[in-house]
This record gives sequence, C-alpha cells and structure tokens, in this order.
Amino acid sequence: MTSLTPTLSASSNGTLLEVKNLRTHFRTRDGVVKAVDGVSFSIPDGKTLGVVGESGCGKSITALSIMRLIERPGRIVEGEISLSGKNLVTATDEEIRDIRGNAISMIFQEPMTSLNPVFTCGDQIAETVALHAHVSDKEAMERAIEMLDAVGIPDARRRASEYPHQLSGGMRQRVMIAMALSTNPSLLIADEPTTALDVTIQAQILELMKALRDRNKMAIMLITHDLGVVAEMADEIVVMYAGKVVEKSDAITVYERPHHPYSKGLLASIPRLGEHRKRLEVISGVVPNPLNLPEGCLFKRRCPYAMPICDTAPPLQQVAPNQLSRCWLTPDGSAPAVGPDASGDIALDAAAKLSVES
Amino acid sequence: MAAYILRRVLQAIPIVIGVAVVAFFIVRLAPGSPVDKFRGGRVSPAVIENIIKLYQLDQPLPNQLWSWITTFPQVWRPDAWGYSFTDGKPVLYDLGNKIPPTLLLMGTSLVLTAIISIPLGILGAVKQYSRSDKVITILATIGYAMPTFWLGFMLRTVFGANLKWFPLFGAQTLGQSGLNVPDLLWHLVLPVTTLTIVAVAGWSRYMRSSMLEVLRQDYVRTARAKGLSNNRVVYRHALRNALIPIVTLFGLSIPALLSGAAVTESVYSWPGLGYLAVDAVRTRDYPIVLAFVMIGAIMVILGNLIADILYAFVDPRIKY
Repeated sequence: MTSLTPTLSASSNGTLLEVKNLRTHFRTRDGVVKAVDGVSFSIPDGKTLGVVGESGCGKSITALSIMRLIERPGRIVEGEISLSGKNLVTATDEEIRDIRGNAISMIFQEPMTSLNPVFTCGDQIAETVALHAHVSDKEAMERAIEMLDAVGIPDARRRASEYPHQLSGGMRQRVMIAMALSTNPSLLIADEPTTALDVTIQAQILELMKALRDRNKMAIMLITHDLGVVAEMADEIVVMYAGKVVEKSDAITVYERPHHPYSKGLLASIPRLGEHRKRLEVISGVVPNPLNLPEGCLFKRRCPYAMPICDTAPPLQQVAPNQLSRCWLTPDGSAPAVGPDASGDIALDAAAKLSVES
Repeated sequence: MAAYILRRVLQAIPIVIGVAVVAFFIVRLAPGSPVDKFRGGRVSPAVIENIIKLYQLDQPLPNQLWSWITTFPQVWRPDAWGYSFTDGKPVLYDLGNKIPPTLLLMGTSLVLTAIISIPLGILGAVKQYSRSDKVITILATIGYAMPTFWLGFMLRTVFGANLKWFPLFGAQTLGQSGLNVPDLLWHLVLPVTTLTIVAVAGWSRYMRSSMLEVLRQDYVRTARAKGLSNNRVVYRHALRNALIPIVTLFGLSIPALLSGAAVTESVYSWPGLGYLAVDAVRTRDYPIVLAFVMIGAIMVILGNLIADILYAFVDPRIKY
C-alpha cells in the first residue's frame, strides 16, 4: 500500500469497504454518548455511497471511525471495519497511517480551515505524495502541480507556491481534493465537501468529484445533510438518525419510494423546481438528547405515524428488493400485522422475525 | 518592509517625547530630593545650597525639563544624559558599564527560558491531563506564585550561604581584575536560575495553551488524515502555528533584556542596570532614573517593532 497505484482495488467489483455493527461511543462526565450505535453498510469498488442525516446523527463520527481519527473521549467500542478484507479497527497505528491519505483519503467540510496556513498548497500536497509514494521532494512537487492542474486550478505551478489564505474557499476545497487524490486512493471520504461553499461553487466541486471518480475508478463515501447533493452522485444511500441507520437503499428508490418516516420528512423538506407549495415541510421537534435517548424507536417523538408499538425498538426490515427500513410500518406503509398496540414479548418476537440484522 | 519600519520609527518619536515629559514630572513629584542625604549631618547648609545650584535644581521645572529634553537626543556627546548625582560621572558612562552585565544576565535567562518552556508547553499540550502535564502545571503554578525576591533570597540562602556552592553576590570574586569567564559563569548561576524559574512558569503555560489551541484546528486533523506520524503532525504542522503567538511574548521580553531584572539584580547585587536604577531611585539620582525610564520606553517600542517584524517571517498571512 505504499505505491501510487491503487493496489487495494485489485479485486475489482468486490466489496471495498465493509462496516459491520460499528459502535463508537464517547464517555463523557454526564454519561455515554452513543454517537454511532450499530451501523452496518458496505461500499463496492468504484461506487458512491451517500450518507445522509442531520447534524449530530453520527455520520461524521462514522467517517472518522473508518479513518481511526476518533479522539478521546471517543472510542470504537465494537464492530468491524474491513477494507479489502483488512480489519481497520484492530490494525496497528503504523498500518493505519499507511492507509490514511493513501488507500483512503478524506476531505472535510471547512476548506477555509482545513489547510495549514503556514505551508504552501504545493508543499501540503507534496508532503502526502512523498510520504506514501516514497519519491523525492522534487518529484512529489511535480505530482502536486499535476494534481492542482487536474482539479481545475488555473496556473497550477504558481498556485502551488501560494499559501492557503491567498485562495478562495472553492479553490481551497479543490486543493483539498487534489491532496486527497494525489495518492490515487481507492476510497474517498467526503464529509460535507460542499456545505461551506456558495451554491455555484458547490455544483462545480460536485462535477469535479464526479469526473475524478470516473477517471480514477474510486469509491466515494459522501456524507451530507443535503439530499440534493447525494442525488447528483450516489449509487446507494444510507440515512442515519441518532447514531443508527434508519433506511438503506439504492439512490433512486429512496427518492421515489422512501419508506422510513424520517426519510420522507427529509425529502419533503427540500424545495423542488416546478412544484407549487406555500411553504416547505419541516420535521417537527428536535433530535433527541444523545444522553437521554427514548425507549424503542428513536424517531417516535417526531414521527407522524407513531404507534404504541414504537416503544419497542423497530426491526431493520426488508421493505423492497433493494431497500431496508428501521420502522414498524409494513412495506406498503400500513400498521404492522402484529398490531399497532403490541408490546412486550409479542413486539420483541415480531421484531426478531422481521429484522434482517443478526 | 523598509517603508513600514521607517513609518514605525517615525511614529515612535512623539511617543518617546510624551514618555519623557511624563517621566520627568513623575520623578520630580516624588517626595525627597537628591540632597536629602547631606541634611542633618555635618554638611553646612551653604554647601547644600551650592550643590543645588551646581545641579541647577534651583531652576524652574519647565526650564530644567527643556534643558534635559534638548540635550537628551545628542547621544554623541558624553554628557548628553547629564551627570550622576551620586558619582559625578556622565550618565552615559555609568550606563555603558552596567549594560553588559544586565544583557548577559537577561539574555542567558531568556534563551534558557525558551529552551526549557517551549518543550514543556508542547509536552503539557500533547499529553493533556496526563501525569506529566499535571506535574508541570503544579510546578508552573508554584513558580508563578513565588515572588522573585523571595525565590532569590531562598536560593541564595540555600545554595549560597548554607551549601556554599555558589557565590552570594556580585559578578566576580572580590579582588579580581579582568575577565574571568568561569568565575563569571559561576556568579551567573543563581541570578539566572531565579529569573528563569519565574519566566519558565509563565512561558510554559502560554506555550501549552497555544499548542492546545492549534491541536484543535481542522488542519491538524487534515495532517493526521494524510497519514503523517504523530511527531510530524505535532512538530511540523502544529508547532509552527503554535509558535506564532509566542513571538509576542518574545517581543515583550526584549525591554526586560535591559531593564527587567531590578529585583533580582538587587538581591544578588548584580552590577547591572536594574541594580543601578533601584539605587538611583533611592538616592533621587534624577539623571540616572530618567535615563533608565527612557531606555525602558525605547526598548518597549523596539521590542514591539521587532515582534511585528518577526511575525512577517513566521506567518505568511502577514505582509507589510
């Protein structure tokens, strides 16, 4: 994993990244915050997974867990993250450093503060190249300039010798992308890459990411709260809520037939062209306090469909060939067969039968 | 850059004049007079009258101010800053003798402070709340809380008087003439230790908080996400940024290079500027006191300017 060529994606069309039952908890003075609580998903080679959810739903923590960048008091307490068969959770620090910035690269939400102000853009990219490709500083700098050119920065050679503060936010995000892709990673984790940018720049950055994805045949894990952004790019979508996956499906299905009431709410809250609505729908209420989560379904207090059975944790059930939803509603959206008032062992039994999780 | 420096120097001129006027009046408002030491003894009032006349202390204050302030800038004249009331020598001559020991004392302490406190601050930040961080914090708090004069007396008592490891006072053994480097260094140990302990206490805290601030920044996370080792993240990416505010501290320490150690110099009778100034205040040796204040003012202005120039070198975002 030390060369520029993506050795990891050699097993083409296989699963590149598999996250199984990941739990990342933060032990705070007031209690344990279960930021990520039993999340599972996988990303095939060259595919794009969109991870959607509100702030605080655990999507960024999931990404940082994959990079093993969780800082105290956070800790991965359970689960498995395997990259082409290698478990990253149990990898040594040295192994993980070899993967970071090399097989998996990450770009962040804040291009304004994500680059080091005291080094030139070229230096910062070349540093990554020199580290992982073991080439001379001069070759690394040439590669950096090449990358700046590839991400559409005009006059790349001059820009390489400039400091981050001399560049606009959009340009800086391009530099971040250039840095992330300079080692030809097989997976790019993009954590809200366009959130901090102007709308016109957002579109440019998304176009750029798409073009580079197709050229490099890399997989992308795209984290966002903006369903419009994932619609542009994602093959599959995971919707997260309060540290859990609440819906998982291919991108088209979730737009056409969302099953989970939360996904429906998210979709209803984005404006669409050519539609006449007096005002946008909102999801009422707030995200539950992570230190004091409700019993059963975590969304029930905000859910228009809430039933007594929701006091029992709903199963992650198959609702369509390519669609999973963590909700009691039947695939067609009606109350569960076991009855909306079922509770206790009856509900638990029903959940166990419906659940696709082991 | 040159234009910027020139502008700053020109801006400094009115400040220096302002300081001169205020300092002159404050020194004169202080009760007592240079001839007090002659009164009540066997010196006849007529002699005292003569001394007052000789030093022109009978002139109206504005006249005295004018003659002092107009000769003050003519540093090429040996008598530009007047004559000491105490030893009758030109003030510039006295200062010339006292500046080298003070520079040596303060410079050594400043360098040691930087060498010791920056690594301590980094350690405290990188291993925040660890045992070593807690030990450093406790020691720094104790060091910061100790008055310099008390610490000086304690070190002198223990290592000078009781253990006799180091001399009690001065910069050289009595009866010696000429420069004897080992002897000088031997005399330097206790005063430098006193100054350094107090300064390290402050600087290491400052460095720690600066480093902690930087370690929380997004670009440090970016550096880690690149796969860099922890050492490289801390010493290359974080340290460069964490040192930027330390430049301010350095700039503020420059005035102290010449003037700061009045207390320590007095405790150890170090033949420096601070000791001279304390003595001069006691005997109301106006020309020396004023010279000391003016040196302090000029050094503060210079220190700030040097800090601002250093900023341009350490932080690419700053251009003049």
